[in-house]
Amino acid sequence: MTITEPIGTAPFTTEPLSDDRLDALVRALRPVLADDQILLAKTDRYNRARVPAPFPVHRWSERVPDVVVMPTSTEQVAAVVKIANEMRIPVVPRDGGTGLTDGAVPHRRGIVVDVKKMNQIFELDLLNRTVTVGTGISMMKLNERLAKHGLFYPDDPASYPCSLVGGRIGTSGWSLIGSRYGHTRDLVLSFDHVLPTGDVLHVGDGIGRKISKSSSGYQLKHLFMGHQGTLGIATKATLKLFPKPEAELSPFWAFDNYEDAHACTGALARAGVATFAGAVLFDEHKVAYLRRDDEAYIPQPADVRALVCSVMYGYEDEVRAGGKRLFRIAKEHGARYLGDEISEGDWAARHDRYATPLHGRTKDGQVIPMSWHCEDAAVNFTSVPAVSRAWHEILADLRRKSDVFDDWGMFAYTSANTGVDYLTEIDVGIWEQRLDDKAWAAWVDAKRAIGAVALAHGGSMSACHGSCREGEVDLVPQELGRGFDVMLDVKRSLDPNNIMNPGKYLLDRAYGRDTTDENR
Amino acid sequence: MTQVEPDRAAGATPPVPVSIDALSEPFTPGAPSNAPELADYPELLAGPVPPPVQDPKTAAFVEQWRNTSYNCFSSGHKFCREVCPVTQVERNESWTPTAFHANVVAMERGELEIADIAADYVNCTQCGACELRCPNTLFTGDFYRFRTRTVDVVKAVRSLAVESGVHQPNWQSWNERTDLRTHEPVLGDTPVNQDKVRDWAEGLDIPIGGETVLFVDCEAAFYRTSVPRAVAQMLQMGGYEFGLMEDQWCCGGPAAEMGYAEQAQRFARHNLDNWRKTGTKRLLVLDPHDYISFTEDYPKYFGEEFDIEVVLVIEVLAQLLRAGKLTPSVPVDRAITYHDPCRLNKRKGIWAEPRELLRAIPGLHFSDVDRVTQWSYCSGGGGGLPIEKPELTAKISAMRLERAAELDVDTLVSACPWSERPLSEAGDAEDIDVVDLHELFAQSLGITVGGSRGEVGDRRLAQERTGVPGRARRERGSSRGGCGGGGGGCGGGCGNGSGGCGCGGH
Repeated sequence: MTITEPIGTAPFTTEPLSDDRLDALVRALRPVLADDQILLAKTDRYNRARVPAPFPVHRWSERVPDVVVMPTSTEQVAAVVKIANEMRIPVVPRDGGTGLTDGAVPHRRGIVVDVKKMNQIFELDLLNRTVTVGTGISMMKLNERLAKHGLFYPDDPASYPCSLVGGRIGTSGWSLIGSRYGHTRDLVLSFDHVLPTGDVLHVGDGIGRKISKSSSGYQLKHLFMGHQGTLGIATKATLKLFPKPEAELSPFWAFDNYEDAHACTGALARAGVATFAGAVLFDEHKVAYLRRDDEAYIPQPADVRALVCSVMYGYEDEVRAGGKRLFRIAKEHGARYLGDEISEGDWAARHDRYATPLHGRTKDGQVIPMSWHCEDAAVNFTSVPAVSRAWHEILADLRRKSDVFDDWGMFAYTSANTGVDYLTEIDVGIWEQRLDDKAWAAWVDAKRAIGAVALAHGGSMSACHGSCREGEVDLVPQELGRGFDVMLDVKRSLDPNNIMNPGKYLLDRAYGRDTTDENR
Repeated sequence: MTQVEPDRAAGATPPVPVSIDALSEPFTPGAPSNAPELADYPELLAGPVPPPVQDPKTAAFVEQWRNTSYNCFSSGHKFCREVCPVTQVERNESWTPTAFHANVVAMERGELEIADIAADYVNCTQCGACELRCPNTLFTGDFYRFRTRTVDVVKAVRSLAVESGVHQPNWQSWNERTDLRTHEPVLGDTPVNQDKVRDWAEGLDIPIGGETVLFVDCEAAFYRTSVPRAVAQMLQMGGYEFGLMEDQWCCGGPAAEMGYAEQAQRFARHNLDNWRKTGTKRLLVLDPHDYISFTEDYPKYFGEEFDIEVVLVIEVLAQLLRAGKLTPSVPVDRAITYHDPCRLNKRKGIWAEPRELLRAIPGLHFSDVDRVTQWSYCSGGGGGLPIEKPELTAKISAMRLERAAELDVDTLVSACPWSERPLSEAGDAEDIDVVDLHELFAQSLGITVGGSRGEVGDRRLAQERTGVPGRARRERGSSRGGCGGGGGGCGGGCGNGSGGCGCGGH
């Protein structure tokens, strides 16, 4: 059977490939890949059907790909994509698989292209301070190799020990210390990218591999970051390196009310201290949650209602001077310093370990094994309190109906060095084992409402995760306006057959068919 | 121009209409001071629990391990991945600690069966790195001694496979031969048996039985015999009384690791009965794998009945050193780094004493790598991996030696006989000797150890004695270490599959 129509012009299907088509696909892949690079076993496919975000476990089997391939070079990726394009079989790129918006989850089965074997370090350029790597390398492993040169690559998400450079490109990642060093888009100078037709593109600023600013032509780099795998697969990237910081200062301050803590966070970020790498605001719900369920939280007196921490990196002399200024600002805002031990320990817990407890609770206090989920948005400093209130109310409303959901509180993190906007996130405990279609639908509605609040306050639905999951994705056209039509035009132009990660970001609309609701 | 002032901006946001009830404010579920209405909300959304799995063996397995695995599945952080030795070299997401837990959740849902998953679980050395790096362990381990139980899940899946008749061919034949001989067939076609289990001790005049017995694992008793010889002579020198076991069978640990649980327990029963017979109250253990068997498996099998004290030889040696009963005085001219055996460092938290011993050896140049960095190191020799997939063990060993070769060393010191065979082979390719800690310490005590260091070890030792040039005889500190070294980088093509930059020291 030959298929010539783009994917998505036919009705949505979660049916696996027929035996004939699967055989034909594997036959076509054999000349390109070694046998152990083509994985067909059930476990190989089931374990590439999900990411850490909770998903309806009862519908696991619908998200299982037909084939997994593990290429080792750009050429192999290009050849696989070319075959898929000719055969009209969906391709889903998968790197760390640690994203929270299902970018790496196959919605239409097909081929998962897992790039983890592409973890080479091709070149370390000490004089221009760059490193060129395969996109399957993790930042932590890269930094282990860079340490002996006194260098580091400061892309620092919560998933730092396990997410991979390629996934950071595909999701346009956000870094916890981005206020000092920038985020993924600032840190990736250029990369090789396989387009949906199998052509290979080198994209950066201009054509150079190690150029950080060019005015030549359209600025295409951003287009190929954050597309959640819908525009192709990054295979080899050149990254900016920094001196490994000599000193870290991470003071934690306590407040007896949220308003003062919020005001203090803003003042710290606006101070313009060069070593300032970020500030984090813990709201009242977060402190209450840590107090009740976080085994590693060192309990503070009951009048502690909110916390702020800030972190600085740099040479010891500059961190010391900048730290003094931030301490003065915190004091002016009524902060109580929690001391060196708690500050260092808690930063290590929140940053190096980045764990959440294993459990949440029902309203009457019963401990329940729950999965952690986090919804994020980008909002301006002045909107953080109102967004927080509205989000907690959405969660309270879910909890009025069910104990499947628990409110684990909110963090707000500075996104940039001037304090203009914040990554706000609400952590939600979900009793995943009790999700069925009805509970899942309630969750999707809540996600949509959470996104709507961010938009109503002039924000963006996501600073960090992306917004292509059920619920919030419905609002993407609203958020982007005319820009969404441009997305459709770009998608149609670069991916004429809709083979790259079909079903994501409502992009089926580019092919004349709206399949948005067909998988609900 | 509109100017937004800080104080006005805060008030500019319209208040969100809030319905006032007990859920509108933060609260602590279960607190006595809570509003009673919190208990009154009806449950309107929760779905049903999954129906029970049909196969009774699988159902019992799922019942036992569901929550353990769900604790991993629900967090989904996967921090375990880049410290896992198998994952580091294979990069296959279905051979990761997270997958090993996720499969259990899928089994509960009836999505996967034991036959689907059994072969994947070969890909684990049971080193325990994943458990340490798990945020769940890191977060609560300090306070509650909680530890994510991935190794136990792997063992349980392997047992379920064997019970369900799903065998891995090499493991099956290995355990059949072990059952026949009462010892592991570590010499291949050369038979091992009860008559030969004490051959390593020839000429050392060690009594049989007694209150304290030195237990020598199969690999050390038959293959790397220099290790038990070194241990025995040091104990004798330190005046520590001990005997050898009267009728020693394999500890059963490897069978337990590969899923042959009934056989493992049968062997354990034999050993315990034999200790009873000889009035033995204390076991001296030189092998980290045995140490796990005796401190974790045997107490599980026998409960209170197992009242034998289990002592690690390294800890005895450290005590003898501190007490001045053993004083290394013969300088050892080697530049070493220490390989933390997984079962000591990652599984048991024993890392200080080996370093204490090494630091007491005069003449030694010791480039230490901290124990946490070594969470991601492994020889690949554990958990039955070299029996079923020797090529994977070799890759893991090669990766370990790559790390060693970046240092200015000629010798890698281990303290685990099972690691030393694969490490020696990988070391040969890097021109690095692999020596056991006990062998080295004995040498510094002036003991002529004797015995065999295995095929590679003996060959390299013979070459050293005949003056064949090797890394050990080379001038140190020359071209070693450092990648790029301040020049223009290491150029294209210096990458390698394990993610290292690989330009240092080759």
